[in-house]
Amino acid sequence: MRRSLLHLPIKRSAWAVRTSNAARITATRSFASEASPNPEIYDIVVVGGGPVGLTLAASLGAARATSHLKVALIEGMNLASIRDWKPTPDYFANRIVSLIPSTVKLLKETGVWKHIKQERVQSYDGMQVWDGMTDARVEFDWNKLLGGREEGMDTTIAHMVENIHLSHGLLKRLDELAVKPTMIDKTKVEKIEYGQLTEEVDMRDWPIVSLSNGQKLGARLLIGADGGNSPVRTFAGIESRGWDYERHSMVATFKIEDDSAFPKFAYQRFLPSGPVAILPLPGNFANLAWSTTPEKVAHLKSLAPEDFVAMVNAAFRLSYTDIDYLHNLKSGVVEETKWRESVTKYPDPPTIPVRITEVLEGTRASFPLKMKHADRYIGERIALVGDAAHTIHPMAGQGLNAGVGDVYSLVKSIADGISHGQDIGSSFTLEPYQSERYLPNNALLGFVDKLHTLYGFESGPLVPLRSIGVEIINRDWFGLKKFLMSQAAKS
Amino acid sequence: MLGRTLRVGAHLSHSYRSTAFRKLSRSSTIFNTILQQPVSRDARHSSTSAYQGIGGSPGNPNGGGGGVDPVEVSHFNALASSWWDAQGPSRLLHLMNPMRIDFAKHCLSMGGPLEAATDAGEGEGSPRGLTVLDVGCGGGIFSESVARLPNTSKVIGLDPSEQVLGVARAHAKKDPALAGKLQYVNSSIDDYTPDHQFDLITLFEVVEHVPYPAAFLQTCMRHVRPGGWIVLSTIARTWSSWMTTKLIAEDLLHIVPRGTHDWHKYINEPEMRSFFENQPGWGSQGMLSMGCLYVPGLGWKAIKGSEDYGNYFFGVRRDL
Repeated sequence: MRRSLLHLPIKRSAWAVRTSNAARITATRSFASEASPNPEIYDIVVVGGGPVGLTLAASLGAARATSHLKVALIEGMNLASIRDWKPTPDYFANRIVSLIPSTVKLLKETGVWKHIKQERVQSYDGMQVWDGMTDARVEFDWNKLLGGREEGMDTTIAHMVENIHLSHGLLKRLDELAVKPTMIDKTKVEKIEYGQLTEEVDMRDWPIVSLSNGQKLGARLLIGADGGNSPVRTFAGIESRGWDYERHSMVATFKIEDDSAFPKFAYQRFLPSGPVAILPLPGNFANLAWSTTPEKVAHLKSLAPEDFVAMVNAAFRLSYTDIDYLHNLKSGVVEETKWRESVTKYPDPPTIPVRITEVLEGTRASFPLKMKHADRYIGERIALVGDAAHTIHPMAGQGLNAGVGDVYSLVKSIADGISHGQDIGSSFTLEPYQSERYLPNNALLGFVDKLHTLYGFESGPLVPLRSIGVEIINRDWFGLKKFLMSQAAKS
Repeated sequence: MLGRTLRVGAHLSHSYRSTAFRKLSRSSTIFNTILQQPVSRDARHSSTSAYQGIGGSPGNPNGGGGGVDPVEVSHFNALASSWWDAQGPSRLLHLMNPMRIDFAKHCLSMGGPLEAATDAGEGEGSPRGLTVLDVGCGGGIFSESVARLPNTSKVIGLDPSEQVLGVARAHAKKDPALAGKLQYVNSSIDDYTPDHQFDLITLFEVVEHVPYPAAFLQTCMRHVRPGGWIVLSTIARTWSSWMTTKLIAEDLLHIVPRGTHDWHKYINEPEMRSFFENQPGWGSQGMLSMGCLYVPGLGWKAIKGSEDYGNYFFGVRRDL
């Protein structure tokens, strides 16, 4: 690791740990116009205060072996708005995460889950997934599969929680820690560079983080939880490979018809342009995640609210040809879908979702989809977690779950390093993290990516084949369905 | 790296004077040849006058020194620059280090001056803290890690090679937390005169590189306080250790630098045990060993009974 870092064109920092005369001269030379304070030394500096970065800070603080560490977390946004979040019962945010049971278990262990308001969490134990071209369908429903719920068995597939809600709970957990991390928000990382050799110490392999507020932080271990375009990853010279899907994901929150007669399901229909999903929220609310081309997303965002609602209802009912046609209409989608639905045969709820009735104002948003995987998760005094290490297509709702899995694996490696007297920044401490997480994440990324490709075909030999495959799964031949469902819950 | 997940406690064969496990009667005769007499490397390397000059008289249980083999010193000098390279020739030693810590912690937890405090390296620690002498510390892999444990107050790393110690000192500078706790001394154990005795003396992968192991061990023993421990690791002299450490590791796979080991200097576990059983004031309150094996792809594994075949750890307590 060290060898490869040395090959990088890295600027040596121009500050001194303790200002010897020589170092002061260097510092003055490089920073003629600004003060050059000594860096404050931290055991761990986390860049990024999203759900993964906050989970990392919370679990470092909660684990006995790591709770004494001096930790700083840097976030560009204002965390106060998340800390002061006041939910209202008639509104749900558009950014929702799906937490699988293993993630919730870890959040419980670190004392985070008790800060999550359960009335705003919607769990579901069934999924309806079907092919937009052939209607081949998989029903993932533990209750049907087992002939009813077994006593004491948790059949939950996932829990839907608003991002801001999870982050709010994480901040509350951080506030109650005995040794609190230093939270530095509304602050950007301006520069990362390596330290210097002085009489007393050799910081030439220590990352030094310069912040927009003038602070400098020396990191025994620098952790990038800083997203897909991770500056930490760039600093470490770790290549991240992948591609843009040339798809955007459109999200929105809806009010829906009364569905209290039905179990809460997640619905996903694979259209050749990408999957469209409706995910359950508490009460008569639901969330949309529609992956499609940037042009179609732009169209969906431009529609009047009632036309947008009609469009989403049609996406679960009409043929792909119809949906494709509707994307050309700038208005009048309501009337157009009404007669087309009247001449189309489609199943009733709960095989498909109940109708949505209203889109909540200001909840329509979109973001581009990417598949990216870093070559390595670690370097000397560097670790990457979450999207900084891997960006995944959101269709399976696994991005954050994989990130939380990274966090716990990394904390375990750090704790093990501490109990064996290792430097927590050394690659020997970090190697177990990489070897535990890289292959499972790679498999997950690959699987979701292949699904995207497989369902991208409108016609051709793969279309009937994928439907046969889906039928085999759905009939639970070879116990495949049980296997898939238990894997989804575990991963 | 997986090796570290194994906890030491599982595979220890504790000392019993009844010789249930020691069917190897050859031990006593080989004990004499190996521990008491100088073992030259091979004809090319043999330079009796050189190490006798440094080492003092062999086989003298009280007065003599263990000696330093200049061929060994030059071998490790050549390795110095790559000592801390995570992918370099010392990688196996780095991977073994967590197991050394686990074994030393396990020994100390069985009884010692600081038994409660040092257990698992947690808690407040004693007012004084653990003092450690790491003999043959090399680049400081073990010295640094034991110094980082919260209950350690002082670690002296001792090595006859100034060049290797230069690497150790330079590396220790990379961690400000080590300053004040860890000190390196360029000396052989024979010439080292500390002003106090230590709670723990460690000899990791050292006795197989020493010309007069018995005299060497006895010199070390003088620096252990009553109730303290000597913890060491070495390699048994068997056909399997020749295969793994010489043929496979050095000659075929090149995962250990060629010439690192002289198979004839290896000491078997029963020989080591028998040696300490014959030292008055040692071992009646604790003597244990643990065999371990490096499995490519899996790392170091503690395997019960493997002390008779290859690498093993050995711990012995000075009676209170």
